[in-house]
Amino acid sequence: MTPFEWVIVGIAVVGAFFGAVAAIGIVRLPDVYTRAHAASKSDTLATVLAVGAAALTLDSGLSTVKSVFLIVFLFVTNPTAAHAIARAARDQGIEPWTTGTEEGDDR
Amino acid sequence: MSADDVADDVDGDGAGGGGAEPGNGPTEADEFDDRPGLYVESTVIMTTVRVVAPFVLTFALFIMFHGADSPGGGFQGGVIAGSVVMMLAFAYGIESTRRWIDVRAVVALAAGGVLAFVGIGVGAIVLGGQFLQYTEYERLLDHASKYGIELVELGIGAIVASVAIGLFFLLAAGFTHAVEGETA
Repeated sequence: MTPFEWVIVGIAVVGAFFGAVAAIGIVRLPDVYTRAHAASKSDTLATVLAVGAAALTLDSGLSTVKSVFLIVFLFVTNPTAAHAIARAARDQGIEPWTTGTEEGDDR
Repeated sequence: MSADDVADDVDGDGAGGGGAEPGNGPTEADEFDDRPGLYVESTVIMTTVRVVAPFVLTFALFIMFHGADSPGGGFQGGVIAGSVVMMLAFAYGIESTRRWIDVRAVVALAAGGVLAFVGIGVGAIVLGGQFLQYTEYERLLDHASKYGIELVELGIGAIVASVAIGLFFLLAAGFTHAVEGETA
């Protein structure tokens, strides 16, 4: 394998790692806000890295351009969707999770 | 904060109230307007939707036109085109979008899609072929098969998009009535 291919494999592995982090966060974290936090940031990075690895693998033609468009719109829309979900949860009056004994009502 | 107020007033046609900040909690929103559960616009979501919506609609047409010889088609593209309206509703409020889009326009879009599909299909019979036999149009204009397939895909896309929009508005109407019923 050429060094370029090793770089692509490294990017894909890092993307898979962050995807696993996002999945573990969605399962393990306690409430909707922390889960949105895990899902938005880690998942966006994982998807962008995976699509970026695909864009580097493909021929430098139309497929790469489409992949770059995908990355751009994922970067724009994925955090916005997480923002909308968290905002809707707050509009519904869902209290953020706290450790309980400390002050948790400062909003 | 003043820029946010201006953005709210320009884009939300006053539904959120003049002084409503994007980060308002539910109690403050209720103080501004007597209607319960009123949606307060978010600058982040409105800006993103305004930027992304034209690209999404273009992508929907891209999917529809590529249905003939590659993955895609009228059904998938129609769903994406319908999701543009749902995106606008999430950003600008469902009631504002309902006032903006006339229900008759949605129904007319679905009926127009059906008419395009049936018209092209029956037109082939009139020209002496089978139902949807595009090759019968070849004597009228060149590449008629491609045009026929694309027009049928556009018709299917119009049907799917308008049905998705109509179902979304029906579900949203039920939600609004439920909220009003709780507080009344």
